[in-house]
This record gives sequence, structure tokens and C-alpha cells, in this order.
Amino acid sequence: MSVIVLPIALREASSGNAVPAELRGSIAEQEVLDWEQHWKPEMGAITHRLRTAGVDRRLWPQTAHWDWRAKVDVSQTMLANAGYCIACSGMTQGLMILSTLYTCRLPADKGKAMVYVEFLEVAPWNQIIVNGPEPRYRGVGSALFRAAVEYSRAQGFKGRIGLHSLPQTNDWYSGFCGMTDLGRDLLHQNLRYFELPERDADAFIAKGSPP
Amino acid sequence: MNNTITPEWCLKMADQEAEFAASLSHAYTELPIVEIQESVDSEAAHNIAFARLVRLMRRRAHLSVEQLANATRVDLVELVEIEKDARHRADPRTVYQLAQYFDLPAAKLLQMAHLSVPKDARLAEEAIRFAARSESIDELSAVEQAALEAFVAVLSEQSEKP
Repeated sequence: MSVIVLPIALREASSGNAVPAELRGSIAEQEVLDWEQHWKPEMGAITHRLRTAGVDRRLWPQTAHWDWRAKVDVSQTMLANAGYCIACSGMTQGLMILSTLYTCRLPADKGKAMVYVEFLEVAPWNQIIVNGPEPRYRGVGSALFRAAVEYSRAQGFKGRIGLHSLPQTNDWYSGFCGMTDLGRDLLHQNLRYFELPERDADAFIAKGSPP
Repeated sequence: MNNTITPEWCLKMADQEAEFAASLSHAYTELPIVEIQESVDSEAAHNIAFARLVRLMRRRAHLSVEQLANATRVDLVELVEIEKDARHRADPRTVYQLAQYFDLPAAKLLQMAHLSVPKDARLAEEAIRFAARSESIDELSAVEQAALEAFVAVLSEQSEKP
């Protein structure tokens, strides 16, 4: 089965330059190796620095404990799951796993099928870390979120997206992506649950489109 | 996967990501824990000014607290605590949503809500002066209206400076 590969671009923060990248409709062994051999050590260095500096643990990266090998291993057993990654400069810059098993909770769309974002993470050097350097590449999160919207459209779900957000990304999903906050989900570690209906999926796409 | 995810789209979004992060990032990246402990008194004064600003802006818009919570998609309980409890530390997202709704500079509101390190001494002084001049009544008085408009002008003026 062929894997979809799309040429995209990221913004290199240090130079302001556009750099070519790829958005791929799969997560293969190389991406998992990149996580094991590069993401994990970098995240370890970050948490060590934060611990040494006495930074409040609530401000540490909340994805530091994520195990992408375990996530991918489980995901590959689920026909309803799809994986995406972004690669740039010979390195995996972002990973995402989607599911089509869930339905909408927003009253206007209640019961309708949607794409649920199981996990989405950008590489540690692309994250905003307290007292840390500027992210290396911008645009990874947007491109992955757009991929989720397009996957939803391809399934006939009209761009509808749902996810539970870690607290550090609540602002991102509501303020930048335009998702609706449905409040804390007591059945999901008390994380806030967000949904993106069709009209807001269109609005998200319009943000980056020519006027 | 739709091939309308173009490099141009991605770059435009990347630039917007940077702008969005800039409005919020200092809430997480510029707030040393030590400074929280050393500025408790000034924090209370800023919180009072922030609470007063939110309350008067809401009343000027003829909105109940619940209506404002719905309009800004923020937690109703938090909005009540912002207006009533000077010790309450607002969530950065709530401050951002309020700034968007009231068309006020998010960075300045984050500073007032003591979610970022104070960089503007004049804003701090004006915030305290505003809190001292304004009071909470059912209808905005001419004095409150004038005070609110004057302080909003300060916020807007500060945001326009290079």
C-alpha cells in the first residue's frame, strides 16, 4: 500500500527561512527510531535542566513521559487508526496518531462521526519550553492539525475533529486552532475535551489561505 | 490526503504560530518562580486592577458574568473568581480570550493579571490608579466610564508603541 507524501514547508526560527519538509501519511520504523535516538535524549536534557534550575514541575513539558514506540505498536494493530509524521532536515519533527472510533459531543453534531486525535507531539526542540530557546521550526503543529482535518474530510466527516488536550496545549487548541472547549472530562484523567465542527475546520484552513 | 496543504499555507500558519506564541509564551517562559514570591503585594494590586477592568468592561457591554463566559468560551467559575477574588491567579487562556473579546492587547492584560514579568512601569502605575478610581455599581457612572475609557486608551496607546 502506497504512503501519501506531501511536500510542505516549515519556518526556521533562527534565520526566518522557509525550509522544505514532508508530511507523510504513516509512522514507520525510522520515525520511531528518531524518537528513541533524538527526541528522548533531548527531552531528558530539557527535564534535567529544568530540575536543576528548580523550575516548578507544572511548567515542565507534559509529553515528557510519552512513549511513541508503545503508541505506534498499539496503533498498528487498530484498523481505525492512522499515523502521520513530518520530516525536515533528515529528522522527524512531529508525530500524530488519529482514530475514527469516536463520535461528536457538541450538541449540533452529537453522534456524528469525527476524527479523534489520539496523540500529537512536535519534537522537543520545536516546543516552547519555559526559560528555553526559541523553537527550531515553526509550523509543525499547524501542518499536523491540518492533516487531521483533511483526513476527517477524506472520511466524509467534513473536517470534524475531537481531542483531549494536555493543560499546556489548551490555549493552542482553543485560541489558535479554534476548537470549542467542552470542559473537563472526568473519564479521561480530567483533561479538557475539545471539538472542531465543520465551520471552524473551514475557518482554520482559511487562516493560512490567500484572502 | 488533500493536496491543498501547500508549502505556502504551511508558512503562513507558521508565522501565525509565532505571533500566537509570542502573546502567550511569556506567561510560561518569562515568569521565574522566585519573582512570584517577592512580589506578592504588587500582585494583589494588579489583580484588583485586572478584576476591576474585566468587571467594568463586562458591565459596559451589558453582559452578565454567565453571558461573558459563554461569549468568550471560558470557565464560568473562573470568571466569577477573577472578578471577586483578588488572590485568584487567572488562567492564561482566559486572559487571552478576554483580550480578544474586548479587543485589548493580550500582552498587557497578561501583565496586569500577573502572568508575565512586569516590563512597563507606567502600566503598573496606571493599573493601580485605575483600581483606586473605579468602584463597582450596577450602572457605570460617568466617573467610572471616564476612568475606564482613559485606562483603555492607555492600554491601546502602549500597544501601539514600537
